[in-house]
Amino acid sequence: MVEFKNVTKKYPNGTVALKNINLKVSKGEFVFIVGSSGSGKSTLMKMILKEEDASDGEVFVNGYNVSTMQRNEVPYLRRGLGIVFQDFRLLPNKTVYENVAFAMQIVEAQPKEIRRQVPMALALVGLSRKANVYPNQLSGGEQQRVALARALVNNPCLLIADEPTGNLDPETSWEIMKLLSEINSRGTTVIIATHEKSIVDALKKRVVAIDKGEIVRDQEKGQYGDEDKDYKIHH
Amino acid sequence: MKIRTTKYIIKEGFINAYRNKLMSLASISIVAASLVIFGMFLLITINLGQNLKGLEEQPELEVFCDHELDDAQVQTVEQAIKDNTKIQGYTKVTRQDAFDKVKKMLENNASVLEGMDESFLPVSFKIKLNKPQESKQAVEELRSIKGVEKVTYPQQVIETISKLSYWLRLISVIVIAILLIVAMFIISNTIKLTVFARRKEINIMKYIGATDWFIRWPFVIEGIIIGFLGAVVAFVVISYGYSAIGDKVNSDLIYSGISFIKFVKMREIGFEIISLYAIIGSSVGAIGSVMSIRKYLHV
Ligand SMILES: Nc1ncnc2c1ncn2[C@@H]1O[C@H](COP(=O)(O)OP(=O)(O)OP(=O)(O)O)[C@@H](O)[C@H]1O
Ligand SMILES: [Mg+2]
Repeated sequence: MVEFKNVTKKYPNGTVALKNINLKVSKGEFVFIVGSSGSGKSTLMKMILKEEDASDGEVFVNGYNVSTMQRNEVPYLRRGLGIVFQDFRLLPNKTVYENVAFAMQIVEAQPKEIRRQVPMALALVGLSRKANVYPNQLSGGEQQRVALARALVNNPCLLIADEPTGNLDPETSWEIMKLLSEINSRGTTVIIATHEKSIVDALKKRVVAIDKGEIVRDQEKGQYGDEDKDYKIHH
Repeated sequence: MKIRTTKYIIKEGFINAYRNKLMSLASISIVAASLVIFGMFLLITINLGQNLKGLEEQPELEVFCDHELDDAQVQTVEQAIKDNTKIQGYTKVTRQDAFDKVKKMLENNASVLEGMDESFLPVSFKIKLNKPQESKQAVEELRSIKGVEKVTYPQQVIETISKLSYWLRLISVIVIAILLIVAMFIISNTIKLTVFARRKEINIMKYIGATDWFIRWPFVIEGIIIGFLGAVVAFVVISYGYSAIGDKVNSDLIYSGISFIKFVKMREIGFEIISLYAIIGSSVGAIGSVMSIRKYLHV
């Protein structure tokens, strides 16, 4: 599903954000990417979307060789992915329904399909009753659920979320994570970058820990981990 | 592209142009102003060309008698022309002939001639020379005949007009190129504002997997709308302005006896002008918009 082979990322200003990353995520997995601020989590996520290119090594996503693909193929790579951001990124002048439908419009889906899929996605995230409301009339948790519905409406096989609960209170964060876990149990591969220690520890999923651009731990049923211990392993 | 996508794209284009009303209006005015100036040059060139044709069909020389001459005096003038060895042949244009010609030229406006008769018009002779290169001398000789008021010499006019229209064409091409480039940059800036206002949306679209053209099209449509509306405004201005000036000048020309110059009617060239305007306006708009979105598409 996703594979990083000896991937190094050096930003144009010289910062080395990732060093020799090897990582494989199979279909149906649920993976937490953890690590302190600046460790390179977002960089890793961005490389899956081809928002950033590898300086060295290869990235494979969903059958595409992301490192070598043409610019005009990128939209088709992204259509197979559902993406969720920390800041939700909803369109303020569109209703909840329109925001979700928009994701289908731009991939030129049939109107009939749109009318069927959008209510299903909204039902999945529990927002059927808020379909005609504008984003600014929703709580942060509800907005993130709309973003989730939008990410899921085109039935992606991989869902990518960079700190999806970063702007939410602990209780709401829990709801969102449970929802992500439920989505995963329906067959979607899920990769989440997060700082939510308690949630990571409680869910007991695969945990990949990054420190200073290197993978320092990769555990099934892992814990968020002790930063001091990771630091020692690394040095 | 699918029909519903086309619909979506066109709708978004109109929404963009409408949301950005003020700048859209400014751009439309600039495009319109450029095209009006372009139109003025174009119409002058068309008219010059058309009249050149008319002039070339004119006799080489035309001798106008003083309009107060009586028949006997006209006879002497005619004899003098007959005796001139440089002249191959001539036709006499009587007062009645001239009057009929004026009447015909005025068409629907012939009523201005009501109550007038042919007496205000001079008798004239259309002259064909043996050798065109002798025309200057011939003109001198004909002018010196007693009772001749003026001798028109169309070849000279033709040369002047040809030169004039060459320079006009050259200047107009330069002026128009500059104006259109300015118009393009202004449209491009207008659309940049829309793109900037919608950069969040563009960003989201890119992440959801919209193709570049899907994102680009509404802005291109916005540019085309601006360019096209500018063309329509310009056409309205130029066709009204031209008809008003053309009618006035046509009748002035007839009064002053310069019967061979005539303004081309708007309805004869209107379709060509509006088509040309629409094509130029839309292309300028489309190019301007493509210029403005390039930067924002790289996510
Ligand atoms: N566009 C960029 N240009 C240059 N350096 C960058 C860029 N983006 C990130 N970096 C650097 O790369 C490193 C990794 O950044 P990244 O955003 O991946 O960290 P992160 O793990 O997501 O941190 P956080 O938990 O705070 O979100 C940091 O040192 C950062 O300063
Ligand atoms: Mg980050």
